[in-house]
Amino acid sequence: MHHFIRRIVGSQESGLVLVLVLVTIALVVLAGSHPDRATGATINNFWNPNTIVQTATDASFFAIMAIGATFVIISGGIDLSVGSIYALSGVAVALLLRKLGPMSDITTVGVGFATCAGVGLLCGLLNGALVVGLRVHPFIITLGTMWVLRGVAFVATKAESITLPTALTAFTKASLGLRGGLYPVPMLFMFLLTVLGAIYLTRTVMGRHIFAFGGSLEASRFAGLSLARIQIGVFAASGLTAGIAAFLGAGFYGSASSGDAQGYELYVIASAVVGGASLLGGKGSAIGAMLGALLIVLIRQSIRTLHFDQNYEWIVIGCAIIIAVVVDQWSTRATARQLSRAADNVRTSA
Amino acid sequence: MSVLRGEGPTREIAARLEHVSKRFPGVQALRDVSLEIAAGSCHALCGENGAGKSTLGKLLAGIQSADAGALFVFGRAVHFTSPREALAAGVAMVHQELAFCDNLSVAENLCLGRLPTRRGLVDGVETRRHATALLTETGTILDVNGRFGDLAIGHRQMVQIAAAVGGGARIIVFDEPTSSLSQVEAERLYALIRRLKARGVTCIYVSHRMPEIFALCDTVSVLRDGALVATRAVHDLTESQLVEMMIGRPLAEYFPTHGPALVGDEVLRAEHLTCPGHFQDVSLTLRAGEVVGLAGLQGAGRSEVACALFGLEHVTAGRIFIRGSGARIGSPQQAMQFGIGLVPEDRKKQGLVLSDSALHNASLPTLNRLSRFSWIFRARERRAVRSLFDRLRVRAPSMDAVVAGLSGGNQQKVVLAKWLAARPSILILDEPTRGVDVGAKAEIHALIGELAAQGTAILVISSELPEVLTLAERVLVLREGRLVGELPRAKATQDSVLRLMAGLAS
Repeated sequence: MHHFIRRIVGSQESGLVLVLVLVTIALVVLAGSHPDRATGATINNFWNPNTIVQTATDASFFAIMAIGATFVIISGGIDLSVGSIYALSGVAVALLLRKLGPMSDITTVGVGFATCAGVGLLCGLLNGALVVGLRVHPFIITLGTMWVLRGVAFVATKAESITLPTALTAFTKASLGLRGGLYPVPMLFMFLLTVLGAIYLTRTVMGRHIFAFGGSLEASRFAGLSLARIQIGVFAASGLTAGIAAFLGAGFYGSASSGDAQGYELYVIASAVVGGASLLGGKGSAIGAMLGALLIVLIRQSIRTLHFDQNYEWIVIGCAIIIAVVVDQWSTRATARQLSRAADNVRTSA
Repeated sequence: MSVLRGEGPTREIAARLEHVSKRFPGVQALRDVSLEIAAGSCHALCGENGAGKSTLGKLLAGIQSADAGALFVFGRAVHFTSPREALAAGVAMVHQELAFCDNLSVAENLCLGRLPTRRGLVDGVETRRHATALLTETGTILDVNGRFGDLAIGHRQMVQIAAAVGGGARIIVFDEPTSSLSQVEAERLYALIRRLKARGVTCIYVSHRMPEIFALCDTVSVLRDGALVATRAVHDLTESQLVEMMIGRPLAEYFPTHGPALVGDEVLRAEHLTCPGHFQDVSLTLRAGEVVGLAGLQGAGRSEVACALFGLEHVTAGRIFIRGSGARIGSPQQAMQFGIGLVPEDRKKQGLVLSDSALHNASLPTLNRLSRFSWIFRARERRAVRSLFDRLRVRAPSMDAVVAGLSGGNQQKVVLAKWLAARPSILILDEPTRGVDVGAKAEIHALIGELAAQGTAILVISSELPEVLTLAERVLVLREGRLVGELPRAKATQDSVLRLMAGLAS
């Protein structure tokens, strides 16, 4: 049991969890409360199912993308095109479903998911192939595809917004038995993909290879890893998660346009970095990325809940990102010291 | 032996340490060390890796600060918090990770921080003049317009030393300065150190290379596990006494004997390999159970031949046969499939992912064997790595410790573990003991013998000729990218190999 607690406290994400908990407590305390219209019971303005689920739902779209982006960042790269991949995937599914006409609900959802995931994956593979094939830094390649892919979406839609079949909205906004006004599906996808991403990164050979690649390209080469496969793989993962986010987002908002998810790439990168990923490569986690996204949305939410001037949102978020990363670095260093001291005690007593 | 020893007991003390202790997370690097260093002497600090000798040097040079104890430089109590303060007091350190800008010229580097200007612009002429003057002062001749990053390691050190002396250093700490130098560069460095000494500069020489200590130094202080074992005059010691002080055990234990190698069938044959710009027409054979040495000066193409055999260099001509059949080795993956392993020259860059744990590093090339459908069996991984670490006697706080924090010897053992795990039938070792202490070195040598006895074909590349001569049954000599000789053990002597390396008639 003691060992288990130490593992939790010593884990990479512990500092972030602490910050999240503190922000949440602050919000709960400061938010105030209002009486429930039906029952008259007192309800906290933040700590109620509605606000909580809504916050998580808000976070889920770019949390999902941040998981894929974390793969790229661990490998030492960066993916600026995720917002554009999101837009293109959403537009692709809207156009395809409009062309196919009415289908059964389940087929619509199936085709929709496959299209979004497929388009996202293809865009990711394209990024990866360009980075590997042209030997150009990912920053440049994805800066280029960021504009190209959004441009493709723009041309394909002729700049109009296309509505999606109600079947998709019904799926992504399914209440799953919760009271009205709560839409937990995107949030559940977020949790599911976080778990899958975490497992992939920490328990599989490919995941291990990504860390090695990001930690030292030379050493990975000398260890006989297939570098091209690793690099294409991380971009494919990033594209795939952007496609899945687009599927959820398009369904959730009921329409898709080439202007969707503009500027998301920066939220996504911020989430990954707040979640402990190092832009130098070799460090990061899927759980961290999700927590990072949650923290950013929570801070945005707090501006609304606490009735601050909304005009200050960007300033607050910008500061919060810097503070979060600095706090994370401190706590990482502190736990590293603690662990080595513990290891020391073990050795001297042995 | 040197005759330039002290003028008597009243000699000035350049640096004095009193009860100095220093602790790093997980390690007591120095405990209660008291030491005096005579002015104008060359004082060796030696000990195994992790003994604290480098830490001691860094304390003196202000790169690290002591937790307890006092430090006196020329009789004055000092508390350095930065290398700049140390230099102001006359202490500088020459080590490989020193902050010089690779992208600037030698002259700019030497004048950095006080670049001469004219009307607000950098005065190039004055910069070059000043830099040349600094270099000449230490007897070094170099093109000061060249980019610092383009210099060979030996020349970089010369520049660093010139900068230290020019900055007013009267005590210079050398931290294993010859560990990546060729023989010729090392000789040049020895000459420079002798010149410095003649000018009254106190040299503190951190090393574990016996010949250097005996050739250069007057006094030696031995450290073990952070504590001072003894300080002695070098001329009162023999080499084996010094080694015994360092390892704290009789020497005999460290050189295990293994029976004569039973050389088996040919496992690798390379014919007329050519890699433009690196080497031409290299043919060699490796047999099971045989240790072959590859000698040559730095830049002769030794590492490139190793890389070519491992699929990392593109070969334009020639063929490789593995167990008699033609093999195309275009990538390390293919090389590994043929049973080839390579322990690379630069362990920090090529051998290890420094940010990762010892465990993950050790299992990296063999993860496919420890997994199914990409799923890693972590318990199996741990067991496999644990047994290798036990066999190699890797000393780490835990397998999950980040390798960047391990000592050089232990890092090298992790790299070896990595390739032992792959159970190669052909193992290429490029500088297997560079920067490794005496104890670990002997262990690695024993391991090489053991592997050969089990039938592994081994190719050893080393800049240390004695190492090649002790280990190898056969020595191949490269000069300027060409194989210029092959000597059986009986004929391979320091002299014969050196002559071939340098291209002198025998």
